[in-house]
Parts: sequence; structure tokens; C-alpha cells
Amino acid sequence: MAKFYTGRDGRLLMDGSEQVKVTNWSLTGNLEVLETTTLGDSQRSYTPGVQEFSGAASLLYYNDDANRNDAATALKNVLKISGVGINDTVDMRLRLVEGNTNHDIRLTAYITTATYGASVGEVSSAQISFQGTGALTEASI
Amino acid sequence: MTTFPAIKPTGRSVDFGDYPVKTFTSQSGKEVRILYGDKRTNIKMQLTFDNITDAEADGFVLHYDYVKGSFDTFLLSGTEWRAGWGGIQSRIELPNANRWRYESAPQIQQVRPGISTVTVNLVGVL
Repeated sequence: MAKFYTGRDGRLLMDGSEQVKVTNWSLTGNLEVLETTTLGDSQRSYTPGVQEFSGAASLLYYNDDANRNDAATALKNVLKISGVGINDTVDMRLRLVEGNTNHDIRLTAYITTATYGASVGEVSSAQISFQGTGALTEASI
Repeated sequence: MTTFPAIKPTGRSVDFGDYPVKTFTSQSGKEVRILYGDKRTNIKMQLTFDNITDAEADGFVLHYDYVKGSFDTFLLSGTEWRAGWGGIQSRIELPNANRWRYESAPQIQQVRPGISTVTVNLVGVL
């Protein structure tokens, strides 16, 4: 069945937990290419190098009835006293839902940027950027 | 590998050398030059092969071993080594059947898993 996907179909899971009050997420895959153009060639040619994956997400700064605040949890991956260690990775799963089918991109990532603030007349939100480390662990889009 | 790898370089730099000339300068500053040969000597060429496979890079090491490093001369045959040269072929080739030897060992820089960049420095031999 033909289908457009919208923000209603989007989900963001971190460490297996579906994040609440996510307003957007994005993912970028990048492939570095190495030039193999030789003397005499008229067109450039390339060979694949290494890939990288990075992305960003915005979450409303929201406490639910159980005092769960996913935005705060995400921010704490960077905004912490003890500093970030090698094991401070996050299992990110970026999902589009189609009925009972999930279209997932899953990767292990470091949260590299955490921004949040408060403004008059606006709901406080947190913006995070993440940088994948290693290969994608799932790509079922 | 008994022949120089037939791979098109990504860069080529040639120093066309000079004719064998001995210069004598008197105390008055007058200069006399004697020409000892009719062919250019000390011609050098650097070939760069960016982002080739490790298997291709391995071919340069094999060939370097085959000619015993800088000892033996070898023929640069084929057209790959002079790819892109739009001038007269004989201008870039050596007068003595285009024979070269290694000036130094091939430099191999690994840039990615399975991908290397190789730089070869050659000296023309009359």
C-alpha cells in the first residue's frame, strides 16, 4: 500500500528505550571517497574509503508522572561531572513505523553535542548531536 | 614480478637532467666549458600512484626485489607510465632504449585498509 511517512511515524530509541516528546531526528551517512584518477583520464574516478554516520535529535525537556525525563538523560551523556569515557556510548535506533513493521537504522554512537535552554514563551527543549562509531548494527529501512 | 607494474600514475615529475659538461673558471672569471657527451644524463623521474590496491602496491616491491634494488636497469615498456603525456614520445623516453633503475626504494603509504599510495623514484641510465 502506498504510504508517505511523516513525523507521526517517527520514533527514537536510546539504549532500547523509546524516547518521549521527541520533536525531530535526522541521520546522515557519509562515504569518504579516494580519488583514483590517473594521468590521461578525462573524468575523475574514485574508490570507496571509510563511512561515517552522524545525526541529531530534539527532545522536549519534559518530566512525566514517573519523573522520567528523556531529554535530561540524553543531555547527561555530555553534561556530566565525571567526563565522558570510552564506554559512554549510546545504542541509537532511529525508526519509522509502518503498522507492525519497524524500519530501523541502529548504531552505536557518542553524544557529541548537547544543547538546551529556556526562553520566555517557549517550551524548553534539548538538542543533541551524535556521532556513530563503527558500522551500523541494523539497517532495515 | 619481472616487469615494472603496468599501472597509470596519478602524478609524474621528470627532471630532464643535463649534458655532461665540465666548467673551468679562471681567476679572471673567464669560463670554459667542455662537453663530454652528446646525451643528457642524470634524468630523474618520480611516479606517484595514489590510492591503488595493496595488491598493486605489492607489485612494486616485487619488482624492486627482482631488479635487486638500484642495481639492475629495466625497461619501461607499455604506455601506462607515460599516460597523459601529449608531447612527442621520444622526448620523455630515454635515448638508450628507455632503461631506468630505482633511485630509492618504492615508498608505500597505507591510506586505508587495502588502499595504498606508492611513490617511485627512478634514474635514467644511458
